[in-house]
Amino acid sequence: MMPISKKRIGIVCPYGWDTPGGVQSHVGDLAQYLISAGHSVSVLAPALSDENLPDYVVSAGRPIAIPYNGAVARVLFGPIAFARVRQWISQGNFDVLHLHEPAIPSISLLACWAAEGPMVGTFHAAAKRQKVSFAVVPFLEPVIEKLTARIAVSEAARETLREHLETDAIVVPNGIYADRYRDGVLEPRWSGNTLGFIGRFQEPRKGLSILLDALPRVVSAFPDVQVFVAGPGNSDETLEVIEPNLRDRIHFLGRISEKEKANFLTSVGLYIAPNTGGESFGIILAEALASGASVVASDIPAFDSLLGHGKYGTTFTSENSQDLAIKIIDLLSHPEERLNKAKQGKEYAQSFDWDVVAEKIFDVYEMAMAGGRKVTLASENRSWNKFLGRDTNE
Amino acid sequence: MSKYLFLLLVVAFFAWYLSYSATRLDRLHHRVETSWANLDGLLQRRAAIAIEIARSEISDPAASLLLTFAAHQARDASIKDRSQAESGLSAALGILLESTEEISGANEKALVQELRELNAKIKMAIAIHIDAVNRTTMVRSKPIIRLFRLAGNAPEPIVYEFEDDVL
Repeated sequence: MMPISKKRIGIVCPYGWDTPGGVQSHVGDLAQYLISAGHSVSVLAPALSDENLPDYVVSAGRPIAIPYNGAVARVLFGPIAFARVRQWISQGNFDVLHLHEPAIPSISLLACWAAEGPMVGTFHAAAKRQKVSFAVVPFLEPVIEKLTARIAVSEAARETLREHLETDAIVVPNGIYADRYRDGVLEPRWSGNTLGFIGRFQEPRKGLSILLDALPRVVSAFPDVQVFVAGPGNSDETLEVIEPNLRDRIHFLGRISEKEKANFLTSVGLYIAPNTGGESFGIILAEALASGASVVASDIPAFDSLLGHGKYGTTFTSENSQDLAIKIIDLLSHPEERLNKAKQGKEYAQSFDWDVVAEKIFDVYEMAMAGGRKVTLASENRSWNKFLGRDTNE
Repeated sequence: MSKYLFLLLVVAFFAWYLSYSATRLDRLHHRVETSWANLDGLLQRRAAIAIEIARSEISDPAASLLLTFAAHQARDASIKDRSQAESGLSAALGILLESTEEISGANEKALVQELRELNAKIKMAIAIHIDAVNRTTMVRSKPIIRLFRLAGNAPEPIVYEFEDDVL
């Protein structure tokens, strides 16, 4: 149960709201949860257009697509964006500010710079230490240290934060609506010796090709094995490069609904996540576990820590299709062990439910608010605004 | 002429940097105060729960005695003795939490549940506090801040020993 005292909460999302992504959906779910608990929530995010934005989202302007950390990020910065951020902060009268990915060059960082008072930062990314971080850390440190409390979404993200910015964080995982997945229905058309895959399969980092490379070996051990691929993409292009004798065992389902997704995850023999990287948390694995699926995933840091280092699912050496094939064959030949692990995983996945996760996040808010101050513009920004003769609404 | 202008710029930049560093440090001190106030409040609540548990049917007379003693000690301890007193209370509560299976009665169960939730929060509060202290100590130890005494009269933040072994 949420406490009775209602708070004004400002959340900043660094990535374009209209582009689908893990951080965006996390922010959206969290905002909706907090609103349903009676709090007043405003989300500041870049957006391509003001239309179709939920009423709790305020647009900070059009995002710019820049390559960052090996992917294209839709972020926003610059003087106009900064002015909007300051205005949003000074008008919001927030009790607490929640900044997502404040170490990314986008509006979360600007907000962290512009504000002072109770601030919580959530770090999603888990990345290897890069040479360039030596150069940017001196700029980031004084800004990031203004955060009253930090949250990392996984042990891997916490480790990244420790390495890069020498600061510790509390681990609070991303949330899922666990009850949706718990009640998934077993559909015979997807069950049996089947392998499931969900995602934009044409993106190389989703790793479908690794699964397809593992297939011949799996087929020689289990001739009845079938593969179901769900998610948007052009299946013809993918089918073209597959050996003809394998083609009829691979079924493309296209985009599936949330309800179908729960049933799909409940039904498939094994859920395969061969992602090669770029995953900060692995929400799909939490959903798969909550549905009771047996999971085989690559051993990238985010997946490894989410699966309890092999306790709730099986990992294989990332990008190694031979190892994947061995793990699949092993699991398919030991159904009892597999179901046992899945059962434990299902229980464990309940801890990712929004009821648990949002409560924890709110606990952190309360700790940040212990000083009793409100969020204001930082003193140096106030004097800067006065100097320019701008109204700060104070 | 341009030499003086350059000098002026350097002085102005230096003055700005000093004021910036002072603001930065001031904010960090504030962060430490907040995180400690939060932790202190949670610890006080823990002591109150410990006394309630001691009065309830969960604990036998010996445990009641131990808990009450430890809780009062933690509440009344001076800053110097606080660490030891909190460690004592952690240990006393730790023994109790080890054997919670036999506990029956809704009230008692609720108490234990409350204690467990509070412990989780205390752990988080400690992590936040330690991080704030570490960061402040690091900035305070910078040569420029020590040279110009930018820390002023603010006391050196400390981490209490009990924070390492809380439950």
